[in-house]
Amino acid sequence: MVSWMGSGIVGGGGDWTLLLMFMNILMCVFVFRCPWLAVTICPAVPPCCAVLFLFVLANFTMATFMDAGVLPVASEDEDKDDEFRAPLYKNVNVKGVQVRMKWCASCHFYRPPRCSHCSICDHCVEDFDHHCPWVNNCIGRRNYRYFFLFLLSLTFHMIGVFTFGLIYVLHHMDELWKLHCTVTLVVISISGLFLIPVLGLTGFHLYLVSRGRTTNEQVTGKFQGGVNPFTRGCCNNLEHLVCSPISPKYTARPCRKAVIHIQPPFLRPEIERQMPVKVRGNGIQSLQNKVSTKTVKLSDIKQPKTPPPLPPKPDHGLLKSQVALLKTSDQQGSNKGPDLHSESKGSPVRCSQQASLPVQPSLQTSAASSSLQLNSLPLNSRSLTLKHTSRSGSKSQLPAMHADNLESSPLPGILSSSSLLANHNTSSSSISYDNVIPADPQAMAQRGAPPVSYPHHFMTLGTDGNLQRSHPRTYSPVFMGISRQSPHLRDLIPPDMTPPLSAAARYDNFSKAIMASIHERRELEERERMLRRQVRTQALFSPDMGIYDIPSRRSLPPDNIRPPGSRGPTPPAYGSREFLMSTGVLGYNIRTSPLSSSSSLTHGPKTSSSPLQNSSSSLQSRGRSSSPAYYPPERPAPGFPSSTSTLPRFSSSSSSSAPLYASYANTKRSSLPYSGEGKDSVTLGALK
Amino acid sequence: KAEFHNLQELRHSPSLVTKVFIQRDYSEGTMCRFQAKFPSELDNRIERTLLEETVKTLNSYYAEAEKIGGQSYLEGCLACATAYIIFLCMETRYEKVLRKISGFIQEQNEKIYAPRGLLLTDPIERGMRVLEISVFEDRGSGGSSPSSTMSSGSSAR
Repeated sequence: MVSWMGSGIVGGGGDWTLLLMFMNILMCVFVFRCPWLAVTICPAVPPCCAVLFLFVLANFTMATFMDAGVLPVASEDEDKDDEFRAPLYKNVNVKGVQVRMKWCASCHFYRPPRCSHCSICDHCVEDFDHHCPWVNNCIGRRNYRYFFLFLLSLTFHMIGVFTFGLIYVLHHMDELWKLHCTVTLVVISISGLFLIPVLGLTGFHLYLVSRGRTTNEQVTGKFQGGVNPFTRGCCNNLEHLVCSPISPKYTARPCRKAVIHIQPPFLRPEIERQMPVKVRGNGIQSLQNKVSTKTVKLSDIKQPKTPPPLPPKPDHGLLKSQVALLKTSDQQGSNKGPDLHSESKGSPVRCSQQASLPVQPSLQTSAASSSLQLNSLPLNSRSLTLKHTSRSGSKSQLPAMHADNLESSPLPGILSSSSLLANHNTSSSSISYDNVIPADPQAMAQRGAPPVSYPHHFMTLGTDGNLQRSHPRTYSPVFMGISRQSPHLRDLIPPDMTPPLSAAARYDNFSKAIMASIHERRELEERERMLRRQVRTQALFSPDMGIYDIPSRRSLPPDNIRPPGSRGPTPPAYGSREFLMSTGVLGYNIRTSPLSSSSSLTHGPKTSSSPLQNSSSSLQSRGRSSSPAYYPPERPAPGFPSSTSTLPRFSSSSSSSAPLYASYANTKRSSLPYSGEGKDSVTLGALK
Repeated sequence: KAEFHNLQELRHSPSLVTKVFIQRDYSEGTMCRFQAKFPSELDNRIERTLLEETVKTLNSYYAEAEKIGGQSYLEGCLACATAYIIFLCMETRYEKVLRKISGFIQEQNEKIYAPRGLLLTDPIERGMRVLEISVFEDRGSGGSSPSSTMSSGSSAR
């Protein structure tokens, strides 16, 4: 329910409370006239007015509380691509028109077309229109419709109130100084007074919609001379405005953690013949080589969308069929295609065929949990043979005949049991082996070679380590964080990292290991970068390493302590992001993080950041640390800032809001359309 | 136990090497599309066709979500008529498609990408700006034990 609640509430009420109160008073007073109106004019008048008023309130609420389409801040990893020398602008072609995407220093990505950064709310908003002080919210892609409908309905509502009030007063001209008339006079005068700017604003937005522009674009004069690639024609624009599906919220989404196992060796495409051969045993080794040659098939195999015919073809070689398993991955539907969990399960089982006993129970559990469907892996899954006869799978298509061929006594059992294994319907845990029939079952059995290319030994092993695990989703604790929350990896590294003792413990700590390895890698990279930087600064003052860097993201030469206004010996290269940032720095909310030294991902030494920070703090300091957790939920905490430049917009007092509104209205009125009234656009809070 | 030792040696811990980002394709406006261009970093990790297929399917899902048609009209009218209270109870069409997409990505990860040491991240988590592909490398044999990495990691913190 609260999913569409946006930032409208944040920031101290704002002007919307005033607006709401005002409207309520108006309505209450108006209500008293309704009986008379119903009698005199038409009985339908009061219900229509009521509905209209309800509509106004609903749209107002949605415009206020709905997330405008806030883009979450980019994770650290994305920024890595945009190196030091990355340009401030990136050009992109939209329907034949070159549109510039600007690098957002606060959010760390190139702003998509039509996206803009709201300095009041300090986030980028998709299809940014403006920041409305009356609803105290950004108006953007998701809530522009409600804002527009609010304006429209409010206009009609006010016209209605004014008209009916006027009628009433005109009918009671002789009693003009009586209370009821006076009150009505007041009401109509107020509504008449406010009707004019509201009407003007509505007209303005109607014009914008017809031209397919946002307020931001109109005021900055983006498409004044040229072609607007975002317009679809007047009618289509209106249609899109009213009828398009509401785009989803990007921030604060419920995150579904799903476990994905990533276990080497990894498959490689045919281009690379060298498969990472992990020798597990002689028998396996030879098979691996075979597998590598057979991986040619990978690319040959088509991936139809329809579920495949399940029974495996007996003439396929084991390897080819194994490979086919991978390909049938998308032939899913209800048919649980070959899931590599199961395949990997096969291989370790094979590996341990000599001593499969301990594996057995795990296999049972894992098989049970993952519903293996082995066709005829010559698994020493005597383990598998064991308990799963009861599971008559929906897809028992296994060639039990192959089972008969196999020599090892457990194998037939395996195959039959595998054929009986049912597929779970859990999408993440389904495992099925299709087409995994060895061409030479005997040979396979004897070699006991596993399908080496399948990397998911881990799953089996996990269950080995934790024999009690039968829950499909918890084969192993690995990658819980990584699969879904990669930017948070650093945050997820548990503080206590004791070396694992047992196999089980090792598996339990796997996630920590992964995260630690990632962390370690980042540390290494950062160190490398620092070294490089130092080398560079010592060697020659690179033009890009200006003092104009945003401290949290760009490294500064350690000995470069200059006031931001002064120029270094070599100014940043023209056109580079740093140069443009320096000039445009006033318009940005800089992530001032002198403490970014605490963050492992900063690009360089921060000692010299203090002068910049001082300057930037005077601009729009948010005092936010450059902690890796960029997610918006913690952004409202700094709340509305000490940002001096946004102060006028920001006050919640009515007195300032009125002039603001008036100024907006004035600017709007003075030129319709605008041309280059950039200064006034400041009041909209949208522009930079 | 011997078999456990065997199994332990077999296990290698992959580590995240890099992330490859597939950017949005804005050539048709602000509707959600991802570039079908195959990133060169993945040349030796995954077949071109697989990734392109995934991206194409994703694009088609997004196109379906953003389509203006009967259902979106109905949704809009219903929402208006109920003063938007319907949003409290009902899931919008876009959200439904997003769920489908998330399931699709999960499935693709399990079947195609994880075996190749790659991992797709649902674009919605990045604000639909990029399709992030995490690339993992097998960092070596059991020698690079988790304990060592963990200790180094903790000390670095």
